[in-house]
Amino acid sequence: MSLSGHARASRPGLRLAGALPDWAGIVIAILLSAFILLPLVNVAIWAFTEVWRYPAVIPQKFGFRFWSDVLGRGDVHLAMTTSLSLAAIVTALSAVICLPASYAFARLDFPGRNLFFMSFLTVYAFPKFGLYITIATIFIGLGLIGSFWGVVLIQLVSTLMFMVWIPVSAFQNVDRRQEEAARDAGASPLRVFWSITLPQVLPAVSAAVLLTFVNTFYETEVAWLIGAPEVRTVPLLMIRFINSELVVQYGAVLSLMLWVPSFLLLILARRFLGAQALGRALGA
Amino acid sequence: MSRAELISQRAAGGRLIGLLLVAAPVFLVVALILWPVALAVFDTLTVEGPSGPRFSLDAYRFFFSDEFSLRNLWMTIQVATICTVLLLLLCLPIALYLRFSASRLTGYIQALALFPLFVPSILLAYALIRTLGPNGSVDILLNAVGLPKLPSPYLTPWGPIIGLVWDNLPLTLLIVLAGLSNVSRASIDAARDAGANRFQVLAYIILPRIRGTLLVAASFVILGLFSAFTLPYLLGPAVPEMMGPFMRRTIIEVDDPIQARTQAVVTFLICAIFALFYVRSVARTRREQST
Repeated sequence: MSLSGHARASRPGLRLAGALPDWAGIVIAILLSAFILLPLVNVAIWAFTEVWRYPAVIPQKFGFRFWSDVLGRGDVHLAMTTSLSLAAIVTALSAVICLPASYAFARLDFPGRNLFFMSFLTVYAFPKFGLYITIATIFIGLGLIGSFWGVVLIQLVSTLMFMVWIPVSAFQNVDRRQEEAARDAGASPLRVFWSITLPQVLPAVSAAVLLTFVNTFYETEVAWLIGAPEVRTVPLLMIRFINSELVVQYGAVLSLMLWVPSFLLLILARRFLGAQALGRALGA
Repeated sequence: MSRAELISQRAAGGRLIGLLLVAAPVFLVVALILWPVALAVFDTLTVEGPSGPRFSLDAYRFFFSDEFSLRNLWMTIQVATICTVLLLLLCLPIALYLRFSASRLTGYIQALALFPLFVPSILLAYALIRTLGPNGSVDILLNAVGLPKLPSPYLTPWGPIIGLVWDNLPLTLLIVLAGLSNVSRASIDAARDAGANRFQVLAYIILPRIRGTLLVAASFVILGLFSAFTLPYLLGPAVPEMMGPFMRRTIIEVDDPIQARTQAVVTFLICAIFALFYVRSVARTRREQST
């Protein structure tokens, strides 16, 4: 550790750092820790608290009582089932529709290719919520308000960016010479795709699938605008806990339960993609 | 059949297959983005007359003469401006530090700053209410060190501002960092050798080179702010409210689709110029990546 630190410190151009303590870094780290971590740590503590009366800094009584309460609630089960099936259906549909298109954009030549590819940028060109409003007015006429499939349809649109754009660069980077060599050796096109192409694009495709799933699972705005009150997803249950639940711990337990899997999935997605590419995929 | 014919036939087949493969997602873009937007623009600019629809600005005249709508729009503009300024002020020093420091703290700071990517905004809203709300952890900590309570930002415009800054920090930072990667260390060293102090380096070397990046970052934040719903709805005041919650109330509770679409088109127009900067930059990064 000290060795690598020393090696880095001796890089050229670091005269400003010198032997002084890294005050700028320490100040940034402390302020940022407080800003980012305080709300999260607070919720984590609440989730394991049974009694916490103001103004005690530490809760009077810790315990797991509210976990069994939350796990036993019918509305939590219903919301979980709805959200999981919604996310699974949207992700599967999105993969079926988008991955072949992504392959086509990367590898085939057809008229209007660039125009169609850039047309997905319109997803970014409008403030999303206004766009949902214009869709919602059409859906009112079609009777799709409050319908599960209405929510699925709009959520598909917000997944296009992940499922088309992330895999395209992966398909472009596949080593063509390996594919040609396999063809020359007598492999069928399908076999080449399965054994050569697929393994090379798998990390990017997995990242796209994970991002789509996580984003759909936590999507609140479409569900609330188009789905409510019939479609009850976990984020909508959370809105109800925030608006009208007196027991603080229910929301805290639900937050923690929801947050841990999303954290793990996104860490995985980040491993597949790297921070910069993940940022680009999310619109940075 | 000659080899050339075979190749041209395969290319033609590839063209058809290509078009078929992209048909479904492109159809979704047309049906669920371009069509609803075009229809909203058309419907808000016309009224039903005896001989079919005719041009009319009534919907917009109503919006821009309705004090309530204007207050909501004004509040959204204010919150968007404050958030943009705060985010740039926050991200610039962090990005400069991450780009030019070799300290071991950079890993920790970057992980921390990217952390909000992993926290869905609905969970953030809940966490912030528990932290900043009445008798929340900020109050507890202030009380513990003997300081008076601060007025809670919860249900004031500062609630959504804090939430949206938290939420937009990682992606704004990544945009600024990407811009800073084009500023070479050599140019900074040269300026330092010529006797420039830190602020001169920032003002004359770094800032001019990342002006475009800062504009893109600001555009990204402003677009996000005009479409923000969850955080303003849960953390913000009921009156005046930001455009997101306002549009939802207009369409669901007031049941006035035409005004809701007028509000939506107004947000499109205000954001149009920022959307242009932002989309152009995404397209450019995309092209650089694929070449």
